[in-house]
Amino acid sequence: MAMRQRSLTVDVPIPETVPRRPWRRVDREQLVGKAMLLPTVLILVGLVLYPFVYSIWLSFSDKTIGSAGRFVGLANFRYVIAWPQFSTALLNTVVFTVCAVAIKLVLGMVVALVLNQQIRGRNFFRAFLLLPWVMPAFVVYLVWRWLFDPLSGLINYALLDLGILKTPVAFLSERSTAMASVIVAHSWRAFPFFAISFLAGMQTIAQELYDSAQVDGASRWQQFRHVTLPGLYQIIGVVLLLSTIWTANAFEPVYLLTGGGPSDATMVYTLLAYVAGMVNLRLGEAAAISTLFLPLLVGLVLAVTILLHKKAEA
Amino acid sequence: MASTTTARTTRRQFLRSTALTAGAASALPFAAPAFAQRPRLVYWCYQFLKSSDDARANFAREWAKKNNVDLQLSMVPWKEFMPKITAAIEAKATPDIVESGGVELRGRGQLLEVTDIYQKLEKTYGGWVGCAPKFMREPDGRVHHILYGFQGFMLIARDDLIAQAGLKGAPATWADMLAYAKKAQQPPRSFGFGIPVSNQTDSNVWEDVMKSHGARLADEAGKRVVLGDHKREVWEFLDYFTETWKANVFPPGVTTWDNTMNNSTFQAGKAVFVLNPVTLSLWLEANNPELLAKTGHYTYPRGPKSLIHPVNFGSRSILKYTKVPELAKQFLWDSMEPGKMDAELSVSQWGPVLNAYLAFDVWKKKSFMKGLVEMSMRGEPEGWPDAFNDAWREQATNTTISRMLQRLVVDNWSREKAFAETLDVLGKIYGKYA
Repeated sequence: MAMRQRSLTVDVPIPETVPRRPWRRVDREQLVGKAMLLPTVLILVGLVLYPFVYSIWLSFSDKTIGSAGRFVGLANFRYVIAWPQFSTALLNTVVFTVCAVAIKLVLGMVVALVLNQQIRGRNFFRAFLLLPWVMPAFVVYLVWRWLFDPLSGLINYALLDLGILKTPVAFLSERSTAMASVIVAHSWRAFPFFAISFLAGMQTIAQELYDSAQVDGASRWQQFRHVTLPGLYQIIGVVLLLSTIWTANAFEPVYLLTGGGPSDATMVYTLLAYVAGMVNLRLGEAAAISTLFLPLLVGLVLAVTILLHKKAEA
Repeated sequence: MASTTTARTTRRQFLRSTALTAGAASALPFAAPAFAQRPRLVYWCYQFLKSSDDARANFAREWAKKNNVDLQLSMVPWKEFMPKITAAIEAKATPDIVESGGVELRGRGQLLEVTDIYQKLEKTYGGWVGCAPKFMREPDGRVHHILYGFQGFMLIARDDLIAQAGLKGAPATWADMLAYAKKAQQPPRSFGFGIPVSNQTDSNVWEDVMKSHGARLADEAGKRVVLGDHKREVWEFLDYFTETWKANVFPPGVTTWDNTMNNSTFQAGKAVFVLNPVTLSLWLEANNPELLAKTGHYTYPRGPKSLIHPVNFGSRSILKYTKVPELAKQFLWDSMEPGKMDAELSVSQWGPVLNAYLAFDVWKKKSFMKGLVEMSMRGEPEGWPDAFNDAWREQATNTTISRMLQRLVVDNWSREKAFAETLDVLGKIYGKYA
């Protein structure tokens, strides 16, 4: 209060008329700015907002191929939730996403740490690392299907030859191994994105920090924990966020490796929606499946974001 | 000494040359009226067996050339057909003519009526074979797609392995087939049943086996699920399946096989029996004649109650959005001409659909093609004795019966639990279409 009483009053001369030209220039600048934003806004509305709103509308309609579709309220949601595969797909999607992202994170970090060292042929290995990620998905998964094959696959052949197995294992066709096999194949394909991103991040961490840590007697693990990891939090956040979205929406690994089997052991929501929409031509049901999974995806993304935000703040 | 100066274009020269170029470009359509007037026909061709695909595609190209048509031909694998046509219809960018998918699109009012072509073909070429009219004619007599061939699964067997086991001829019943398989297989080199029990549509053969035990899914009208009334027959079928599973006649991995694995397993010599179209035999003819010589082709074995041997078809239809309906109809008519079909069927997996085709030499020349004629003449439409409608189709793409079997052998569910889930799923599907 006292401060307010002691505040100074300064007389500022106010011009009688505001000069027109500068204001007109500001107006024009604003207009030009808005006009330049317009294409982006239109693209976002056309390519993001419209499909999103349309898919929500579809989920409330009985639309099939070629028909306009009528509003059916929550009928699609009730049908889909009561469908036996839905709860399986829900659980499998979470398991697949969490496990695959965790494996990719650990594997990516380990490989990035190795490739950040002064090793012979480092540049070659850095380029080689990207190979699984740049290969077309269907090639990768067909190769993995052959590797897992119980009769002619390399994995069974090697394990039998080494005496680890006595009879071949149908990795993709047994409930106990199917999901794990799909996760392994997918993680192998996608971990280079993690590794290369972490590697790029590691190269921005100042060497002086490591030197100081060494002077203070920090071990390798302590250097990693107190220098490398905090330096990578932002990158880990972005990579985890993107990967969680991509992994939860992954379709090819399951479609090409197991088709959702055996007995829905690997059924994920993307495949369920594909079958409903593209095989059974019931677009309303397919949209309802996707819409029902939206909160789960948002939840996963939020969880990752909040977790990393807290870590970064700490 | 050569001049090093470069010639600069004046503004006047630039404007003149630009105007000339623009004028020439705009005059092009007038200069080539014949090109501009060519009608365009977009044709999506079913892709499966290369020799057959090539024959149909080559005919289409020659036809387009002869009729001065700008043909856009796309080969679409069967598995990708529905997703592609779905996207095309929704994007309002449809082809004019499509192969396969007739029934699904007809049910949704997407096809042009072609009853006139159907009647003309029937009259000109001596009538339709077997159940072809059942596939094409709707209850009101209208037709929206023209069959060009029957296809279906046959029992394809390694006669040499069967003979080595001291057995003779084809198994007459499903129970015989199991007995044959147990004796003839030599695991891990070969397995008795190269039949998928997965979520892929080739696994629907188990529905046929179940129906041959006396069960059916729905009532005559195809509206109400009646499988629950056939519990005894289903139990017999499940007992049969469990027995085959325990006999270890399946190669490992059949619960996730896709639709190519039964082919590749037989091609690799690792299966005694497979249920497959003769595409497999046509492949062997071209690539492994030695194995083909050891291979026999038979109708399905009987079940305890009946013989269920369904046939499928390939057909052409015209999308209702076409801008060239008469041209598309002309193509449908010309593509069924016997001389052209004779050449095509000799390299295809298709059985005859018109009586005029029964005289073709190909049925006599190749032993495995004889079975196709018998199947075309006697086979019943897919799903039989159930009505071939949208509800049946959806439960088939869902591989409902194969999923019930997977519950038994993958999840170790009891028969009661697996059967209850199957009834629930069928009830939900049929309920939508009732």
